[in-house]
Amino acid sequence: MASLPEDNVDMHAARRASDHESFLVHRRMRWARIAGALCLAAFLGYFLIDQQPRPGGGSWYGYTLGTIGLGLIVWLSLLGVRKRNMSEGRWSLKAWTSAHVYLGLSLIVIATLHTGFQLGWNVHTLAWGLMMLVIVSGLYGVMVYVILPSQMSANRKETTRAQMIEALAAIDRQLKQAAQPLGREQSDLVIAALEQDVFGGGAWARLTGHYPRCATRRALDGLPDDFTTMADNTGPEERVRVLLRRRDAQLGQIRRHLRLKALLEVWLFVHIPATIALLAALIAHVTSVFYYW
Amino acid sequence: MTFLIRTIDHTASGREIVRERMIEQDSLIIGRAAENDIHLPDLAVEQQHVRIGTAPGGMLRIEAVGTLGFSLDGRSADAATIDPREGGELALGSAILAIAQENGGPVAITIRQVEASEGKADVLRSFALASTLPGKRALSWAFVGLILIAFLAVPVFTHLTRDRIAPDAAREGQVAFDGSWSTGRLSLAHHGLEDNCEACHVDAFVSVRDSTCQTCHQDLGEHAPSPRLAHGRAPAGMGDAILWSVAATFGKEGPGACTTCHTEHEGPTRMEPASQKFCADCHASLDTRLTDTALGNASDFGKAHPQFKPAIFTRLQQTAPVRISLGDKPREANGLKFPHDIHLDPQGGAARMAIRLGHVGGSSGGYGSPLACKDCHAPNAGGIGFAPIDMEADCESCHSLVYDKVGSTFRTLRHGDVRQAQADLAAMDRAPRRPVVTGRSRPGQFARGGLYHSNFGPPVPTLVGVNRALASGGVCRECHLPATRNGMADVMPVNLTDRYFLHGGFSHAAHAQEKCSSCHKAETSKASADLLLPDLKSCRECHLGEDAVKAEVPSGCAMCHSYHVPGGPMPQDHPARARENVAIVNRMGR
Repeated sequence: MASLPEDNVDMHAARRASDHESFLVHRRMRWARIAGALCLAAFLGYFLIDQQPRPGGGSWYGYTLGTIGLGLIVWLSLLGVRKRNMSEGRWSLKAWTSAHVYLGLSLIVIATLHTGFQLGWNVHTLAWGLMMLVIVSGLYGVMVYVILPSQMSANRKETTRAQMIEALAAIDRQLKQAAQPLGREQSDLVIAALEQDVFGGGAWARLTGHYPRCATRRALDGLPDDFTTMADNTGPEERVRVLLRRRDAQLGQIRRHLRLKALLEVWLFVHIPATIALLAALIAHVTSVFYYW
Repeated sequence: MTFLIRTIDHTASGREIVRERMIEQDSLIIGRAAENDIHLPDLAVEQQHVRIGTAPGGMLRIEAVGTLGFSLDGRSADAATIDPREGGELALGSAILAIAQENGGPVAITIRQVEASEGKADVLRSFALASTLPGKRALSWAFVGLILIAFLAVPVFTHLTRDRIAPDAAREGQVAFDGSWSTGRLSLAHHGLEDNCEACHVDAFVSVRDSTCQTCHQDLGEHAPSPRLAHGRAPAGMGDAILWSVAATFGKEGPGACTTCHTEHEGPTRMEPASQKFCADCHASLDTRLTDTALGNASDFGKAHPQFKPAIFTRLQQTAPVRISLGDKPREANGLKFPHDIHLDPQGGAARMAIRLGHVGGSSGGYGSPLACKDCHAPNAGGIGFAPIDMEADCESCHSLVYDKVGSTFRTLRHGDVRQAQADLAAMDRAPRRPVVTGRSRPGQFARGGLYHSNFGPPVPTLVGVNRALASGGVCRECHLPATRNGMADVMPVNLTDRYFLHGGFSHAAHAQEKCSSCHKAETSKASADLLLPDLKSCRECHLGEDAVKAEVPSGCAMCHSYHVPGGPMPQDHPARARENVAIVNRMGR
């Protein structure tokens, strides 16, 4: 600190403080308060303004809310562009993300009041539904970003992903060696276990952590505990069994990691395509309204 | 302890060279220095890196000698104990030392060089969920294409390439997939156009035009001539002016357009009548702009509405009715004598006669009880008003015009034709016959010579009898006023009003739950000159303005008034709405 120029102390202190501040509580939740005020204003307007003949997107208040909503959606979707550019300070990415989350949530109120609760099977409700899907997936994303990273680091136990793979490779090399004395049938089980792709199984298996066709587990089932050799613990089968168990444990750690990572990433596969689809639906929504004016 | 050290090298051609040697020692040192038990020529390995010693129970103890650790089964460690029978893999730099012991033999340490693990980054990439799902970008483009084609390109293309034909509710629309653009179901009146969007939405980006509405609704009356209509409209407030300027920018036709009042896509209900605000825009202060108007200002039935001005005949022999405010307590001159009170008095002579006629059960009678309003006033078709009073049907069962009896047939004077009646009386057979009234004669006016029929017949000279019918005390004068036409005795022409309110509709059927007397004070009316119409105050007992919360029936202008046909009958759907409202209010806790 002493080496820092005097006039920069505050700036550096502020920066350090902000380093450990989540985007959710950025600047004492400035954007949460702004978004809350926006919702409150929209609510008050909805209940105080007599929209004739009934509330909806076609009254002047409906058009106003719709315009605000459209502007917000376009701006929110620009986060994808913004985050690829570095900047600091007032328009830091953290401020931007904070605003993205809270203004995004305020859209639930603004856009729903814009509909006047007139929902049906049409392109207008499609846009509303896509928007809600985007918001709900975003909400899920924020939640898993809060909850899952600690579980993830607990599972990793200070190993890196490369080390997990390396450990599995080490076990596999020993397994290949240890399985040399085995018979045909048992060798095939070991080969199947060794050949199976750790990252196979598809998205569903990753998300659920449930791998019904795990060859390692099958190999373990095909090499049942032999209690006669248990005592000296020296037979080649027992050695393979020990290695397979070790492989199973290592696979378990990798799969838990894959599951947490999948849960952490899956929302983006909804959030991003749904956002782009929403932009298309909004184009259709606005164009159709003015086309059949 | 015996260690079997097996070194596996590869020749340039890829052939394996295996060298084996036995070491009989309690512990081994592994490192880069040549004097170590196992020598690894790798800069990443320290001079003395790892010591492998024995541990109790046949276990092996592996410890780092220096500060650098080692990798055991893929994990970094500084020290570890392994069971050589289970085996283990020690990685130092680029060398891998596989430790194994088989069936109590020597501990074998197999040393080989690691093949450079290529594509390691690819392996790490496999950890991402993206490796198992289609790309976000591909998904996005797929959705965008689907939405833009189905919900934009197809409707727009088919709309632009359709045949331009007149709107036809019987046809399906030609534009494909534009149902997805509909913001709500159409009103019941327009239900036939539900699948025919282009019937109203004719041109792209052009708002629905009045001319399009008029292709079907061509016979609608004009509320007022257009210039007068525009002149009468109040200047818009600042908010409205801004809204209309925005609307004009987007091509809306303006405040007088059909769609301003008649909004559509509000669900499958009756088309909503225009709200009171639309009328009040002009009529709240109409006299300040149209100084010649005869209409009073009106903006809310409960708060600002002029007193009713029924059209009535105020003088005898008037040719056209005049409109006059009920506040001026007008008297009607319809040319008839008709005291309602005498007829409706349940103890009076009229009541007795009605009861007696019921007992007789004559062809024209059948009252059987004191007279009620319905005995003379029959509702017209639809129940909105009443059929005109008809002398023969409504009066004659008591006020008989029978003047003679031939055999079993009664001869009746022709009502409504004075000359014909006079001719009938003059031509009556002079031969004496029994009086029409049978039974015993009463004293007084019904004494001999004073009998009804003999007053106009023999033995008194005929002309005298004829004149007596129209003279004071004669049968005509019971109801009619005397008059002289072309020098001859006649009755005053009768002007009975069949529609009092010219600019407002009123449905009696919609008020069926009320008694007649709650609005019309007929029981106490002594003369036909009494105007028995309820006034504004009386209506306001139930009806107040559109947004009057406490009113039994909140009533907008359209409940009684029609915009397009100001003097025409009430719009068909309003009584039904009124009844619904009454029912709702009643259910709400009265």
